[in-house]
Amino acid sequence: MEEKMMNQEITQPTEPKKLKKRDITKSMWIYYAGAELSNSYERLQSLVFCASMTPVLKKLYSTDEELSAALKRHLVFFNTEGILGAIIQGIAISMEEQKANGEDISDDTITGIKTGLMGPVAGMGDAIIWAAIMPIIFSIFLPFASNGSPIGGIMPLILYPLLTILISYFLIHNGYTLGKKSIVSLLHGGRMKNIIFTANIIGLTMMGALSASYVNLSTPLQFSFSGGSEIIIQDVLDMIAPGLLPLAAVFIIYFYLKKRGPRYNRILLTVVIVAIITSLLGIF
Amino acid sequence: MSVLGVAIFMGCYYWFSRLRLGYTISSALLQPVTIAVFVGLITGDMKNAMMIGAALQLVYLGVTSTPGGNVPSDPALAGCIAIPLGVAAGMNPQTAIALAIPFGVLGVFVDQLRRTTNSIWVHMADKYAEKADTKGIMRAAFLYPSIMGFLIRFPIVFIIDYFGVSVAQKLIEVLPEWLSHSFEIMGGILPALGFAITLTVIGKKNLIPFFIVGFFAVMYLGLDTMAVAIFATCAALLLNLFRLKEEEA
Repeated sequence: MEEKMMNQEITQPTEPKKLKKRDITKSMWIYYAGAELSNSYERLQSLVFCASMTPVLKKLYSTDEELSAALKRHLVFFNTEGILGAIIQGIAISMEEQKANGEDISDDTITGIKTGLMGPVAGMGDAIIWAAIMPIIFSIFLPFASNGSPIGGIMPLILYPLLTILISYFLIHNGYTLGKKSIVSLLHGGRMKNIIFTANIIGLTMMGALSASYVNLSTPLQFSFSGGSEIIIQDVLDMIAPGLLPLAAVFIIYFYLKKRGPRYNRILLTVVIVAIITSLLGIF
Repeated sequence: MSVLGVAIFMGCYYWFSRLRLGYTISSALLQPVTIAVFVGLITGDMKNAMMIGAALQLVYLGVTSTPGGNVPSDPALAGCIAIPLGVAAGMNPQTAIALAIPFGVLGVFVDQLRRTTNSIWVHMADKYAEKADTKGIMRAAFLYPSIMGFLIRFPIVFIIDYFGVSVAQKLIEVLPEWLSHSFEIMGGILPALGFAITLTVIGKKNLIPFFIVGFFAVMYLGLDTMAVAIFATCAALLLNLFRLKEEEA
């Protein structure tokens, strides 16, 4: 089969194959639709990445051998964050286009670029899309939900997908036109760092504000002395600074996570036990 | 809608939201506040549904933002069970949270089952790729995992939502005071887990003062979330200005 492919490369048609913007957008939609749908432990997003490349590859490669080789090329291990991942798609598409037009790009180069980018892109995607945009949008409308209004659910359901799809759309077309070199410089340049920095600051401040509004912990403890004077512990705490107990709860869990890693179920269980014991003893 | 109708709807809803069709649409659908909108529509009790949804959302706010999508807890399973049962049994949000937590944990195992079965389709796709069958690859990426997902997810929610209402109602009646108070404490502390997780995901120790600023902006100044969002955005943009200057210099 190797030989066959070589022959075909030599007998390339002279007219260059050019993808339409529509083909690339179609590819974005397939990846967006299925990024997590077929996610498996074995190869994570490889299946959907390959599926998303099908509209493009069908246009670029006319023989079954070429198409088959291209499909297999994109069934290798792949995993990244699904919104920012669109930029990798854009690059992969532009490389496939160049390859189909006879440029000397090996399978390893395409896979190499994809695997090289998926780590950093996933890191940025988690920081921007999942740790900032998502909690910020949901938390802004949370007060509506707490008051019993459906706006608290409807607005995030519209805004979050809309905003992230726009980002995907922008990135896949940019990835395609800019090509691989510019992307690398974009990733390492100051602009990306500034976006993450901005998102992180907004995210952290919002998390602080939400902790203040929604973590509720106070103590009914009080000590009476023989002289008739009383010390109400909560009043003493509030005099130092309001909300010390909720703040402590957040940071105790935070430091535990930092030290011991993501043992969420153990923390859940601990909170349940602590709640029952302190309820029985009348501490909280 | 009858209990049967609600149970069928929630079973389908859980399947569809967890199908993850549409990367961010589905992740919005599986949030408790969004589930609550639909529970409110089908039960007619929007107010209570939203209030329970909001309480659950706080517990799971940070959970969804964990890197790599390795869900440590499933807000959709928790929501699809605790919100309709909570509304039907007239639970307060705190009690509904206590009900939701175990199901949130159970959801993790359900997801592991799905990801394991999904390996079958990748191997199928390998064969389709060999034959250059692009339609087959699309089927392996979308159709087969969807069918398997329905078989795995629908029955759990359907059975619990259908048979759970009377159990939940009885439970509320016999709940002793100390236990219901411990649910309140739990509901008060658990949001802290969500926020702590988000703190670790953002992972920049030197930026933690911004968390403190946000916290005390509410405690001392009584600002609402929108106000904090506006000030935080401005502060972040201004700080960027200084950073750029430093880099230029």
